[in-house]
Amino acid sequence: MIIVGMADSAVVKKPEKLTTLGLGSCVGISLYDKSTGVGGMVHIMLPSIESARSKENIAKFADTGIPSLVDDMVDAGAYKHRTTAKIAGGASMFSFNSNTQLNIGERNVTATKNTLDGLKIPIVAEDTGQNYGRTIVLDTENGELTVKSALKGIKIY
Amino acid sequence: MKYKISNLTEMQVSALREIVNIGVGNAVTSLSKMIETGVKIEVPDFKVELIEDVPEVLGGPANVVSGVIMQVTGDIDGYIIMMLPEEAARTICEIITHEENTDILTPINQSLIEEVGHILAGSYVSSLSDFLSLNIKISTPMQTFDMLGAIIDHILIEMSQKVEYALLFDTLFILQGDRTDGFFLTMFDPDSMDTIIGRVDKMI
Repeated sequence: MIIVGMADSAVVKKPEKLTTLGLGSCVGISLYDKSTGVGGMVHIMLPSIESARSKENIAKFADTGIPSLVDDMVDAGAYKHRTTAKIAGGASMFSFNSNTQLNIGERNVTATKNTLDGLKIPIVAEDTGQNYGRTIVLDTENGELTVKSALKGIKIY
Repeated sequence: MKYKISNLTEMQVSALREIVNIGVGNAVTSLSKMIETGVKIEVPDFKVELIEDVPEVLGGPANVVSGVIMQVTGDIDGYIIMMLPEEAARTICEIITHEENTDILTPINQSLIEEVGHILAGSYVSSLSDFLSLNIKISTPMQTFDMLGAIIDHILIEMSQKVEYALLFDTLFILQGDRTDGFFLTMFDPDSMDTIIGRVDKMI
């Protein structure tokens, strides 16, 4: 199992698994091409690179991290037009967030959807929002995404 | 901006460590009085970390803890976070409520933990504020029981919009009777750290 850190991404081939841990307001995007068994995952923190002061790590942002992950998957043999997405995270962990951070989770989810839409990659499953953390595991054997939480159990998409 | 711990002199680092140590020491004395149990602390660990690496440094993003977060505002900006493993949270609740087999997730126990965090952070901050002659305030606490990564990621997101590195002081405290422990974490952005260092330089 390959662990994808915060603001990090990775691409693997069948039968390897990919995981990212403890998503709160961050969003985990898992991409999979069933025909080749190539899977990818990115753990984004912010919607867009545009307003960022430091643009060094492109995996940090939805609008740069996702296209770059798609490129890496294509390099690994995946077909872009057969790739599908499953997304999780984007929670709002506390009800009294400071004003500037209002709904950062929601903004991350919206940016993720817009970016995937622009790339014409369909979202086939989504487990986002609410107020709890999530750990996700992509099994490239079958494309299943397991979403685990501390108190809300396990779901498989 | 790249902030390196090596830019600080040994004298500055030990002064900082001592100030945090006294602050957390005061906080833990309040805790010790509240729960009428001896509480030990270890010398604070001072680290400069890339924001993305913070969850890993704190023991792993999947680690499930009871976390109380307070925002620090005033002359410096940052966060104070108390993190208790389930066992430590339960021990504190049981000592205060005199109950057994406590469910730490009931609303009353959640707010109890929240208030303990708030009191601790309050005495910590007033000690820092006195020492450094800075005006420092803390926000109302936010508490939740969840994965560590999920609890702190919105803080890291907020910091990452301004800076690449976070300065961390983490202090382990041990409830002697039950040998359970928890973390008291202080996180500042580099600008605030410069302010603090400025004050420290006047003292040494």
